[in-house]
Amino acid sequence: MSDTSPEDKQVRRGNYAQSKNEIVLREHEYDGIQEFDQKLPNWWLFTLYIAIGWTVVHWCIYYYTNSIQTDQQRVQAEIVSVEQQKAKALEETLRTLNDETMLTKWVPDPAVIAAGETTFTANCVACHGADLSATMTVDGKSYPLPGLSLVDGQWKYGSKPMDLFKLINEGTPADSEGHNGARMQAWGQVFSPKTVAEVTAYVISRNPKDFGLSE
Amino acid sequence: MTTNTRTITYDDASVRRFMIASIAWGLIGMLVGLICATQLSWWQMNGKFLETLTFGLFKGDGVAYLTFGRLRPLHTNAVIFAFVGNMMFAGIYYSTQRLCKCRTASDILSIIHFWGWQLIILSAAITLPAGFTRGKEYAELIWPINVAVAVIWLVFAVNFFWTLAKRNEPSLYVALWFYIATILTVTMLYVVNHLSLPTSLLHSYPIFGGLQDALVQWWYGHNAVAFFLTTPILGIMYYFLPKAANRPVYSYRLSIIHFWSLVFIYIWAGPHHLLNTALPHWMQMLGMLFSLMLWAPSWGGMLNGLFTLRGAWDKLRTDPVLKFFAAGVTFYGMATFEGPLLAIRPVNALSHYTDWTIGHVHSGALGWNGFMAAGMFYWLAPRLWKTKLWSKTMADFHFWIGLVGILIYVGSMWAAGITQGLMLGTLNPDGISMKYEFVETLKKIQPEYIFRSIGGGFFLFGFILCAINIVMTARSGKPVDDTVEVNVPEKTYDRLALSKGLTNDPVLHILIFILLICLWFFLPPHADKAALGLAVIIAIKAIVDFKKDPKKWDDWHERLLHNYLPFTVLVGIAAAIGGSAQIIPSLIVNTDKNVEGRLQELYTPLELAGRDIYVSEGCYNCHSQMIRTLKPDVMRYGRAGHSDDYSHLGESIYDHPFQWGSKRTGPDLAREGGDLVKGSDLMRSGKRDNKWHWFHFRNPRWANEDSNMPSYAHLYEAKTDFKALPSKIKALRNLGVPYPYPAMTKDDIDEKAREQAMEIAKSLFEGGTPVSYDGMPKATSAELVNTFSERQIIALIAYIQKIGAYHEVNHDGPVEPKTLDPDSYRRASTPTDADSKKTTQIGN
Repeated sequence: MSDTSPEDKQVRRGNYAQSKNEIVLREHEYDGIQEFDQKLPNWWLFTLYIAIGWTVVHWCIYYYTNSIQTDQQRVQAEIVSVEQQKAKALEETLRTLNDETMLTKWVPDPAVIAAGETTFTANCVACHGADLSATMTVDGKSYPLPGLSLVDGQWKYGSKPMDLFKLINEGTPADSEGHNGARMQAWGQVFSPKTVAEVTAYVISRNPKDFGLSE
Repeated sequence: MTTNTRTITYDDASVRRFMIASIAWGLIGMLVGLICATQLSWWQMNGKFLETLTFGLFKGDGVAYLTFGRLRPLHTNAVIFAFVGNMMFAGIYYSTQRLCKCRTASDILSIIHFWGWQLIILSAAITLPAGFTRGKEYAELIWPINVAVAVIWLVFAVNFFWTLAKRNEPSLYVALWFYIATILTVTMLYVVNHLSLPTSLLHSYPIFGGLQDALVQWWYGHNAVAFFLTTPILGIMYYFLPKAANRPVYSYRLSIIHFWSLVFIYIWAGPHHLLNTALPHWMQMLGMLFSLMLWAPSWGGMLNGLFTLRGAWDKLRTDPVLKFFAAGVTFYGMATFEGPLLAIRPVNALSHYTDWTIGHVHSGALGWNGFMAAGMFYWLAPRLWKTKLWSKTMADFHFWIGLVGILIYVGSMWAAGITQGLMLGTLNPDGISMKYEFVETLKKIQPEYIFRSIGGGFFLFGFILCAINIVMTARSGKPVDDTVEVNVPEKTYDRLALSKGLTNDPVLHILIFILLICLWFFLPPHADKAALGLAVIIAIKAIVDFKKDPKKWDDWHERLLHNYLPFTVLVGIAAAIGGSAQIIPSLIVNTDKNVEGRLQELYTPLELAGRDIYVSEGCYNCHSQMIRTLKPDVMRYGRAGHSDDYSHLGESIYDHPFQWGSKRTGPDLAREGGDLVKGSDLMRSGKRDNKWHWFHFRNPRWANEDSNMPSYAHLYEAKTDFKALPSKIKALRNLGVPYPYPAMTKDDIDEKAREQAMEIAKSLFEGGTPVSYDGMPKATSAELVNTFSERQIIALIAYIQKIGAYHEVNHDGPVEPKTLDPDSYRRASTPTDADSKKTTQIGN
């Protein structure tokens, strides 16, 4: 397989390959393995050079120009904007949502109740039970769950529709002991005010009497 | 040159041993991987399936030893250290002897190396499922095994370098360069990342904590990929591929350039595993930029592999060995293109913590490591047993089913990762709430998870065929050690004095250049620009010098290859720089005393016990504790009313080991903990209360039927190790965690732990709606409180309720620039920029 001429062998590889633009087979053999000495592909070299150049440029831009925000600045600004939108959305929801409209507009709307039920099933049944009784039944035996029952006619944190909305939105009040120590998280952190209102409507729809509605 | 000849017999018995061990462990490691994959689809695979298998004889929701958190480390350790480890040793022992034209230096060391390594693997296979772990990925083994690994690795190193010293071939072939880099660098990485302070025979704490531990871990983790899974296999490629193709290697000078650039650059890229986290920005930047610079050096290896096949492509049709090599090298190229891509911070924002990463590593692990191993085995077996390969058809079938398996695996993980990453970042049209619950994203990628198991199953099936083929080949021949006649050259090599090897034009130019670049990173404003300017001047000077007389530099490298010691020292220097330039400044700057803003609250004794359970159960295999500086992360996991609720570096600074995690099969837990419960100075209540956790650990399907988390029923039976707490707290104190020890006596610790456990137990079993335990149906609430206060579940709940607890520390006055902290220079230059200082309260 060695087909290099004797003349090649005398020429040093680097210079030779460059000047003659030919491929050199190195004379030395390692356990029968030989090596060509091809020039480095230009495109390969360029990717290396470009990456090195970019390193210098990128570092300089970030540390010398202050034109790129820090990660903390960027994300903080984004979250502040979300919080502001959220506050605005809450304000807007509350403009039309009150004890009365909840009962006259939201609860009677089947679409609202369906949406509320979906959210409730996905997020609330673990603690309040699928039947809202805050118990689960395993092998015929009933076990209490961490949450309060939502069908026992008692409304520990206020029995007006908007008390419920506030409770779900903000979680168990900070000054409360909770239910045997158990506290509910502030769902307003996860859900939009509209979603919270839907869940509230759903819970009310399951307790029409408590809120003065006919069944 | 006068020469005389000598007849030598190679030690091929060691090669056969390592090869068989590699295949055997490979089968086990891949099988465990397949089980782990199915566990993500069906939670019953965590042990419940035994109920069906035993026709109801076994009862229970799971088996502790089989839970995903304990099995995944077994899978990763087995395939990395047992499968690839033994494969690498087989390849190195075979090729080094032939490239050095001498038998391995010591048969006894070879034997110790082999059996020592197998014993280590065996002990890992026992301790990992038993829950003994250091809690750091691919560095899970407990400290006595770490010591054994170090000793056996040293045996290997001595044996290897001794063989080099005895060689009858003056010049070192490129394969040997890669082996040298492997041995040196793995030693460095392994030792530093395994530095621990033992608290007992089976348990220790890593000496680094928080972000420093994260940095060291991923310096190790990334470079374990580089120097355990890549460089030795490149060496093996350089030997076996030209042999199998019977073609000269494509380019010698490409070998030189890509070797040195790979060894130097790889080490810097570790922080790309920590992008967008609390890791200081300058390190993230280095991690990303060096990853991009790494692309070309990695592809250099691929080019040298693929282009060597030029003129031999036709053989691919007939030779299974070349099929495997060609595909293996192609997958290497694919994975090393994907790597830099994933290291770009915005791309990483999507890919990190998802299965995209898992797909990425498997295109390397299955495609590169698995196929290079198979190619090497098929090439070696007929030669080691002096016979023909038993079935070429079967080997061909192995190739195709393996290839299909990899493509299904990697494709489904891409789909899963990108789908989940996008879903987790999707907002509702209102722009203020997240569209999907975490579990919804998990449910969505279930089909991909099943395809992954199928792909992995195909690959394993192919590998079983390989095992059968190799065994039948061995049985059809008989073990023969090659005997050859070699020329013993006059000893004109290995004569270069170390000092001369280091003080010469090329080395000095390059070292000064690198030093100036490091100064550019770290010097204060303006001095850094001067350093950069000087670095550019040095670079130009080096190029001019080189162009003037390339032969001089050429000759120097040639000479270096005739002198293994200076060569080795230079490899060591090249590999040591990157880690030092990141770890040492971080150790100096990122200490608790320098923390601005949030500083972690210390764990109470019970919380510490709970944390050790969290680590021992391998929770970090699915749960991160790191809210990245990304909008979706902060929105999903941060608290309402805190606009800066990403994880700050001070929040986990006392965590030994850190638990930031690397993938989210479950949600992030960084804000799971919370404030002290009113009226208590020990018990806390976080996002969810104690009862929620009680139900959830018992049966995660209770909270959400789509959860794939294993049941942790065994924690309701196992007892908390209160006795170990004083020595643990003492150890942490010695590592710099400011516990008031020994002012806090052993009795205090025990008393405090039990007090908190009682309080949590009471919150569960007392009050209006107490929980019950089906294991003790008739017990009174007092009995339950007493019993469970000593059980692990309570300690674990205590820890969960503490995660992320911190207090504010604020140093008044303007931000002072700190030496060795490039970010502080930037902050100091813009005084209005108070990025991490201010806590903005909104909406309350």
